[in-house]
Amino acid sequence: MAGENALGADFTLADDILLGDDFLRQLMSVGEVDLLVAVPTYNNAGTVEQTIRAIEDSYQQNFVRDRVVILNVDGGSTDHTAEAILNMNGKKAGVHRGITSLRTVHRVTTQYGRSPSQGTALRTILAAADLLRAKSCAIVSPATTTLDPSWVANLLRPAYRQDFAFVAPLYTRSKFQGLLARNLLYPMSRAVFGMRIRELYADEWGFSERLATECLNQNVWGHEAVRARPEAWMAITAICSGMKCCQSFLGPKAPPPPGTGPDIIEAIRQTVGNLFWCFETFQEHWMDRNGSQAVPTFGPEHDLTPEDKPSSQEKTFDLFRSGVRGLDSVLSAILTPDTHTQLRDIAAQDPAHFHFDSGLWVRTLYEFAAAYHRAVIARDHILQALVPLYRGHLYSFLLEHGESSSEEIEGDSEALCLEFERQKPYLIERWKAKN
Amino acid sequence: MKDTIVQGLQQAYLNLFHMISEFLPRLVVMLVIILSGLLVAYALRYVVRAILRLSKLDRLSEEAGASRVLRMAALPSMTEVLSRSIFWITLLGFVLIGISILNIAGLQEQISRLLRLLPEIVVAILILFLGLVIANFLSRAALLAAVNAGYASPNLASWSIRFGIWILAIAMALDELGVARQTVIAAFSIVFGAFMLGLAIAFGLGGQGLARSFLERSLGEKKDDKTDELQPL
Repeated sequence: MAGENALGADFTLADDILLGDDFLRQLMSVGEVDLLVAVPTYNNAGTVEQTIRAIEDSYQQNFVRDRVVILNVDGGSTDHTAEAILNMNGKKAGVHRGITSLRTVHRVTTQYGRSPSQGTALRTILAAADLLRAKSCAIVSPATTTLDPSWVANLLRPAYRQDFAFVAPLYTRSKFQGLLARNLLYPMSRAVFGMRIRELYADEWGFSERLATECLNQNVWGHEAVRARPEAWMAITAICSGMKCCQSFLGPKAPPPPGTGPDIIEAIRQTVGNLFWCFETFQEHWMDRNGSQAVPTFGPEHDLTPEDKPSSQEKTFDLFRSGVRGLDSVLSAILTPDTHTQLRDIAAQDPAHFHFDSGLWVRTLYEFAAAYHRAVIARDHILQALVPLYRGHLYSFLLEHGESSSEEIEGDSEALCLEFERQKPYLIERWKAKN
Repeated sequence: MKDTIVQGLQQAYLNLFHMISEFLPRLVVMLVIILSGLLVAYALRYVVRAILRLSKLDRLSEEAGASRVLRMAALPSMTEVLSRSIFWITLLGFVLIGISILNIAGLQEQISRLLRLLPEIVVAILILFLGLVIANFLSRAALLAAVNAGYASPNLASWSIRFGIWILAIAMALDELGVARQTVIAAFSIVFGAFMLGLAIAFGLGGQGLARSFLERSLGEKKDDKTDELQPL
């Protein structure tokens, strides 16, 4: 069931459901655009104004002649986030710098549901981008307090001025920030899909019209893995469809205030669950790939700032040790006997001299991925069983790199990536194994 | 004397002949029934296996942990177990019907009792199996939640769940069979309180994140108990 809208674009029944009457009316009054920046919100009334100002400033500084829109998709805020956006004075930011946009900067807001869902938010954004024929789109988080107008421009330009389909961000990080990405998500995704994209799981990213349409037409939106963390799936779709990807350096990313981000269990369930799901969904694309290739990068590829060694992490080691002991029956269903024995052995080590060998870490993760593929037990249980092992590796990393320089940490990360690439045949072997 | 013996033998011969002439057609009918049963059982096994493969039962069974239980018991896949069970149950039903055709005194009543009990036995086995699968799944969920939260005795919650569900499944299976119904109800009532406590602990552990975020949203204040852990992303 297809129809024709005022813009001349076809929309399907699914779009019709996604785009409510009021939202559709707002979009049709905007008309076609060149650039779209989306801000998914949920109770962000306190910070969203700053985010919108940064986007408007970016439009006025960098895209004066282009047709632009700011799209807010809200997950059912109770703090009047949408009203805060609509009631802002739009001219103020540009005028005080003596810059005036030649075009109206449209602001469109919609509520996609009563509870936040990154997948549904992205789907709504893609449907709107498709309808508005936006050539380049970016998504920014209102929780990012360090958002700068240059960030928006850096995310939009590669897809708008060049032929890139997916633009991953790069941030200035402190030494001990984003360690799940450094020790698991980046090296594993790099080895499997063969592309060196550091921040697959980020709050900000950019994409082209073509990729938006490609993703919108995929029948994956009901999967939990996509509902929770759709950004990596989007990047991997671009990689596996042969579209060009790049990285764009943005600047320092302030960590979320303690207690506001997902805890380690939730983070692993969302991101590693999504990554393993992508392994399965795109398995015909990565089985024959060897090694990895760098993607074009705008700005420095990495920027680590010094940070004091985190306070005592003995509890982390205790959780690793008790996890390996307590989950013996679960781990025996997931891991090979040899790997399981080695994990038991290192769990018995003295915490002061503990070392989680990178070869063992890689083998463990590949066995987890294969176990997830074969669904040896409930998939969510497999992901939860990884948590204590990650804690063990994290403890080993902190013990080893408490005083290391940025270069030493980068060198170690690169060695881990190469170990993942070296052992990729083992993943394929385990993946294809019957038991 | 001689005539009496001859008459007796003749009578015995006639009786035997009569019995055989009565028994043989029944035997043939029984064999036909069993043969038909064999064909029907084969057909049913084929159909059930095809349906279960289409419905991807084996994957569900793997995810629920049932396949692991089957492997531990050296049994084949769930699809194979169910389709073979259907085969044997169907065949057994036909064999019993066939035997009842023979009209052997005493056996008739036993066969009818067995036939009446057959569906209940199947349901009882099914209840036990489901209980085993659910117990495995929930006890593992509780174990993982407890281990990751750093509780001192994670196995306690896990085993409480497992034990509670086993008790429930066994009580339900025995009730289905009508075995010692009063005793079963009494025993079940006694352990029910303990079981519910175990369940409450498991759901409390498993859903603590949900409950915490719900309370945070409802009461509007955040209480962070994991500030010692580094932000993973």
